[in-house]
Amino acid sequence: MMTTVWAGLSLGAIFAIVAIGYNIVYIASRVFNFAQAQFVMIGAFIALSAGSALDLPLWLTIILCALVGGLVGALEELGAIRWLRGRGAHNELVTTLGVATLLSGIALVIFGSNPQRLPYFGEAPLDLAGGRVLLVELFIILAAIGLAVAVGIITKRTMVGMASLATSEDREAGALRGINAGALAIGAFVIAGALLAAMGPLIGAKTFAIYNLGDLLAVKAFVALAIGGFGSYAGAVIGGFGVGLIEVFAARYLGSEWPNITVFVLLLIVLLVIPQGIFGRRTGRTV
Amino acid sequence: MRFLSLRDARRLPFWILPLLVGVVVMLLPVLGAPRGTLRMMVTIALLSMLVAGLNIAFGYAGELALGQSAIYAAGAYFAGYFAVQGLDLPITLVIAVIAAMGVGLLTGGPGLRLGSWSLGMVTFFLVLLLPDIVALLREYTGGSAGLSGIPLPSVFGTKLDSETYYMLVIAMTILVFALLRNYVVSRHGNALKVMRESPVLARSLGYSITRIKLSAYVISAMPAGVAGTLFAYQEGYVSDVSFGFSMAVAILAASIIGGSASIYGAAFGAAILVIGPLRATALQQFSLPFFGLLLIVGGLFFRGGIAELLQRFVRARIIKDDLMPDVERAIAEKAELPAIAGKPLRASGIVKRFGGNTALAGVDLEATPGRVTALIGPNGSGKTTLLNVIGGFLKADEGVVTLGDRDVTGLAAHQLAAAGIARTFQTPQIPKGLTVAEVVQVARYRAEPTSIVSGMLTLPGTRRAMRRDREEAVRLLSIMGIAHLADRPAEELPLGTRRILEVARALAADPAVLLLDEPASGLDESDVDALSEVIRRLAEAGATIVIVEHNFEMVLRIADRIDVLHLGRMIAGGTPEEVRDDPEVIESYLGKAARERAEKAKAESEAKGESR
Repeated sequence: MMTTVWAGLSLGAIFAIVAIGYNIVYIASRVFNFAQAQFVMIGAFIALSAGSALDLPLWLTIILCALVGGLVGALEELGAIRWLRGRGAHNELVTTLGVATLLSGIALVIFGSNPQRLPYFGEAPLDLAGGRVLLVELFIILAAIGLAVAVGIITKRTMVGMASLATSEDREAGALRGINAGALAIGAFVIAGALLAAMGPLIGAKTFAIYNLGDLLAVKAFVALAIGGFGSYAGAVIGGFGVGLIEVFAARYLGSEWPNITVFVLLLIVLLVIPQGIFGRRTGRTV
Repeated sequence: MRFLSLRDARRLPFWILPLLVGVVVMLLPVLGAPRGTLRMMVTIALLSMLVAGLNIAFGYAGELALGQSAIYAAGAYFAGYFAVQGLDLPITLVIAVIAAMGVGLLTGGPGLRLGSWSLGMVTFFLVLLLPDIVALLREYTGGSAGLSGIPLPSVFGTKLDSETYYMLVIAMTILVFALLRNYVVSRHGNALKVMRESPVLARSLGYSITRIKLSAYVISAMPAGVAGTLFAYQEGYVSDVSFGFSMAVAILAASIIGGSASIYGAAFGAAILVIGPLRATALQQFSLPFFGLLLIVGGLFFRGGIAELLQRFVRARIIKDDLMPDVERAIAEKAELPAIAGKPLRASGIVKRFGGNTALAGVDLEATPGRVTALIGPNGSGKTTLLNVIGGFLKADEGVVTLGDRDVTGLAAHQLAAAGIARTFQTPQIPKGLTVAEVVQVARYRAEPTSIVSGMLTLPGTRRAMRRDREEAVRLLSIMGIAHLADRPAEELPLGTRRILEVARALAADPAVLLLDEPASGLDESDVDALSEVIRRLAEAGATIVIVEHNFEMVLRIADRIDVLHLGRMIAGGTPEEVRDDPEVIESYLGKAARERAEKAKAESEAKGESR
């Protein structure tokens, strides 16, 4: 029982981490970055290559992942978002879906379609609070909570964070106050990209590295945000844990075909009943 | 003997051309086309139906749906399963279409609730979910082994050979295209465009956005159900690998290449994709990165796709700017403004707070039929907020609004529109892609409703309503003096004409009350004069008019009553003369010094016994 809870929490933490990435970009630029989850996949494959070919230590691998993730994030913003400014969310969805497809396609071409194990952390489980949990799973849970707290504090307490909140509310007013919305947007893409790619080695150690790792992560993290509320970091973590727990319990008690279907049904219900999420708020917009 | 000249050909309806192409494709087996070509044509036909469906949701309704391939799968599995059970093709087709639209309804209802990307995510999830559902229902779907043993199709007991079946596939494709084409050229297509370009305008015209979006999305599932059925018989075997993520991406790519806001464009997009990348086997491995790049480039640069390029060509070469006969007649006849049944509008004790900021602190406003009631006040005084409360775009925290004898407090914008409140906007809301006459016509969508089925089949009811839409629009444009522009693209109009067009549109909804939000801002003097005259005529015809305006000169000229709002309170009200001389108004507009000067001047003039 407790082992299942640990499995659910660590799975949910992965969704929460991706959801935090969605939020960073969403708050700063009102863009929903469909490709966000692919950055975890990038990190996992960098770890795979760096670990086997270059024999880098883990901390150096994580730094390398962050650098590449930030770079890809910057390229995405410049190449697929910036040119669209003011042409509506639908084009952004198309181009970021394009980026997602491109990234996972490149991974498929280079690494093939088989899942591959990362050479970090052992397989030996720990006994904790009456259940078994892998060391790497514990790290992922702590990372999700730590990230949410840190990013939440930065957003609310620092100038950059407040500037992005302000721009999110009213782009024009922000610009009139001297906030450089363009710099803010690219900054958000870089930070979200770097953070998620840096989590790649950890997450990949649990899930294995595979080219379509980002696809299901993308939708599950979206479900986490739909539950927790868009733009809320606490919501991202709680929503993520919720989705993870539901998934592992559905697998355990209903069978292996059920986890995704259960999460999907949950998403439909949440959208019908509380479309603004638990911590989200409804923004009234008018003429 | 005279041949059909180019001039005569121009008069023929455009749909003849695609129909002709479709019939030629259908007759290919008779013309001796090789098997390979026929197979390719079927693939193109199936893909083009999927794309045409997506275009309704994405191009017209503005909602990106990625689940077309999953709905296609639902159609194929349902048709395949019941075909194996021995049912005839017409029956399996109906079952599959109902199932497809059911999946649309199930995912669209929740998916359309949140923001512009939630439908995209819900439907993307649906695609990823397909293998799980197929595995779960393996008793019916054959699981990962696939559903096999689908017999050759039979229609009413007659088995079809492969050539007849080919012709049936193309005939069904033509039918689906005809239905979708009728749907978008009927009034529903323009309603979708209005909603996509300006949800605020759509609500002010009385549209229920959720309902229109959901119906468009469910309709977009219909072609996927048809295509799924035809696919199942064509292949004789259904497996979930045919409907994965790359299929979803390919459909979207075809839509963008062909032009998402077009029905015929779907056929171009599908043909290009099937003849090009989908056939190149060398590309299999690179299909994902290729489609990814295609989406990025397409999303950035191909806004209108091939359809728009063709349309531009047709417009430049073939369509002339001659006035249509009905427009010429309307200009010659010079219609008079009919009587308008205005209703009294009363707002009392309206309080509206934004967080800690009180925008309206207990405001009363009364407007009577046949009179122009002006609302003035400095920037930030709450004028537009009050207008938005009355129009249902904001909910007041306190206060009551009545229209005639009816309490309309707290109704939503589209309900108030139906109750008889029409409005214009500070920034005129002129949706892209409509002609001037169409901009007026869309206001009649709710007043004289016609069903979607009637639109798809172009039944007499729809034809009558569309004819009346057109007559009414041309008549109103003629009254406003801009009928000669009726068939021009509305986005080309200058600001002054846009504002007059907005008034014409507001009138087309047959309103009791007209709310005009700063109609004169940005206009030059002659435009202001033209607009003032229009507003006076409307009041004389009996309309209740509330106008928010900064142009004090204009307000003094046209208003019967002026109310002055300052920092969320009414500080004065009365006839134009009373308000003009009110010291508090002068102070709030021009400052303390001006007030003192005015009082001094007034005292002097009174001393001299003069009156102005």
